[in-house]
Amino acid sequence: MRFIARYAKELHNSFEIVTIYDEKVERELISKENPKIKTLAKRYPSAIWFERKISDDLGIKIEDAFDKRPLVHQERFPRDIHPLRKDFKQIQIQESDYLPYKYEEVGGDSVFQVAVGPIHAGIIEPGHFQFSQAGEEILHLEVRHFYKNRAIEKMLEGKTLLEAKPIIERISANESIAYQICYADIYLQATKQKLPLSLKKYHALLLEIERITHHLTDLGFIANDAGFAAALSFGSKLAEDARRQMQKLTKHRFGFSAVDFKNRDIDTDSIMQWLKSLKKDIDFFEDWIVDIPSLWDRFDTTGVLSLKKALKYSCVGVVARASGMAVDRRIESFYLEHGFVMASELSGDVGARFKIRIQEIKNSIVMIDNFLQKSVEALELNQLNDGEYHSFCESSIGELFMAIDIKDGLIDRFFVRDPSFINWQALHLMMRSDIIADFPLINKSCDLSYAGNDL
Amino acid sequence: MIKFWNKRLKLGLLTENIELEDEIKELEKEIKDRVKKSFAGSLAIRMVDSGSCNACEAECNALSNPYYNLERLGIYFVASPRHADVMLLSGLMSFNMTPHVKDAYLQIPEPKWVITLGDCPAMQAPFDKTYAINAPANNYLKITHHISGCPPTPLEIMRGFLEFLRKI
Repeated sequence: MRFIARYAKELHNSFEIVTIYDEKVERELISKENPKIKTLAKRYPSAIWFERKISDDLGIKIEDAFDKRPLVHQERFPRDIHPLRKDFKQIQIQESDYLPYKYEEVGGDSVFQVAVGPIHAGIIEPGHFQFSQAGEEILHLEVRHFYKNRAIEKMLEGKTLLEAKPIIERISANESIAYQICYADIYLQATKQKLPLSLKKYHALLLEIERITHHLTDLGFIANDAGFAAALSFGSKLAEDARRQMQKLTKHRFGFSAVDFKNRDIDTDSIMQWLKSLKKDIDFFEDWIVDIPSLWDRFDTTGVLSLKKALKYSCVGVVARASGMAVDRRIESFYLEHGFVMASELSGDVGARFKIRIQEIKNSIVMIDNFLQKSVEALELNQLNDGEYHSFCESSIGELFMAIDIKDGLIDRFFVRDPSFINWQALHLMMRSDIIADFPLINKSCDLSYAGNDL
Repeated sequence: MIKFWNKRLKLGLLTENIELEDEIKELEKEIKDRVKKSFAGSLAIRMVDSGSCNACEAECNALSNPYYNLERLGIYFVASPRHADVMLLSGLMSFNMTPHVKDAYLQIPEPKWVITLGDCPAMQAPFDKTYAINAPANNYLKITHHISGCPPTPLEIMRGFLEFLRKI
């Protein structure tokens, strides 16, 4: 059974802890007097961030956890504030005294610590990495995030679904289409409607263009992090072409507000043309890049995540598939009928993740070709019904999970688990036999979102 | 590698100026003069994300792809605030990032300027104010120029840099 997410919500006179597995959903009610739960982290290690977040958000104690440090609340965050409680209504808080965070550190003779971040050397998002080093070799890495925390969950409470849309599509821009697809799915569950096939195809088309853009950018950057800049020029050129296709289709380079319930008349010829040239270019890229021995010397056996560890940490997306796990939300009849073939590798190293991306781009080209259609169908929406709704979507990073509770037509609790939230927790496992100079390469090969993780 | 060089020669130069073409021709001398005079030939920018959705970062990365090739104008993104003339700030100034943004600003040697990027730092993006958001950024830093958009396209960012250069 694969662990997916764990979150809590405040009810009238109790807290409800919801635990999502791939096969079932478990619910537990706990009293508001001295609220506490037992940890799942002994069985599912990646539950620990969820539990530390629950503890920060709602003040629920995790009785037997081995790690009780705050997660979202950092050094200057006011103590004893639990912002997801319904009675917390402040919109400005004051910095409190600096309380140092106790990092996981390996000690010993000539072992030293390297602190990296939150602001990094390139144009990337902020996050902190704490290395314990013996010379060049990494002994341990602790990933520490939530610098970008914007309190999205709290922000969305009390809004209508329509008001929430522009915020949801801006949670993590490189997965915006996936977030919008989850949102649209939840909307239709609440109106008890089904998405017509033609609209489903249009949404899937946008999702695959988003995936292509994301993977192409990564193919360039991963090789660049191994010192091979020519690939970055090539990859970023193709990524820009893909972004311009998105712009043409949706009037926005990231497809913000593109997923809705009406189809547009699209220029299928120009997309076909782009697909044809992309197919040629990606074949050329693959043929060229596999022939650079010094590059594969860096890729192969670097940053290995074994299948056993990937399963234990419930990994998702590209990271999981590169280690031989068969997880992909597109394993379902609609995608299979339109040419979906799951990409898979076994070695779990940087090279495997690189190859997965190439395979997925090729497969996305086939699928987009099958999704192309001329249709201007639109869906009239029914009245929304209150309830708790769950949705999944395979974003370019991995499986995205979203849950929205609607009460009196308004959002009562919004929860989303970005694929990055799980995969970040497995990142340190990939550093077991590598040197610190390999870290950027390994990190980039997973290419996780900070914004989606931090919320 | 020979395959690559063949392809490279066949493709030629991709850099394009599309809408900016006339403007750039007109301004190229002016920018170069200004960059030369005020920044000894190169304008060094330190990008800091204070809580964005990562679209602004993606667009800044796009600035160095072969189509836009920003560096030809003498404008560079640098790795440390200590190498920078300008801080380019994106994001909502999250509560957790605010002290680090202030710290990075202090590390930039004088004279220094701040350009805000995208609607977030001006609190004009669709996000509502929460306890975890400290934007607008001008409560904390003196902003010289603002590039609006959600996110601004690479062309808009380039245009924004030109406007900034004219301003100072």
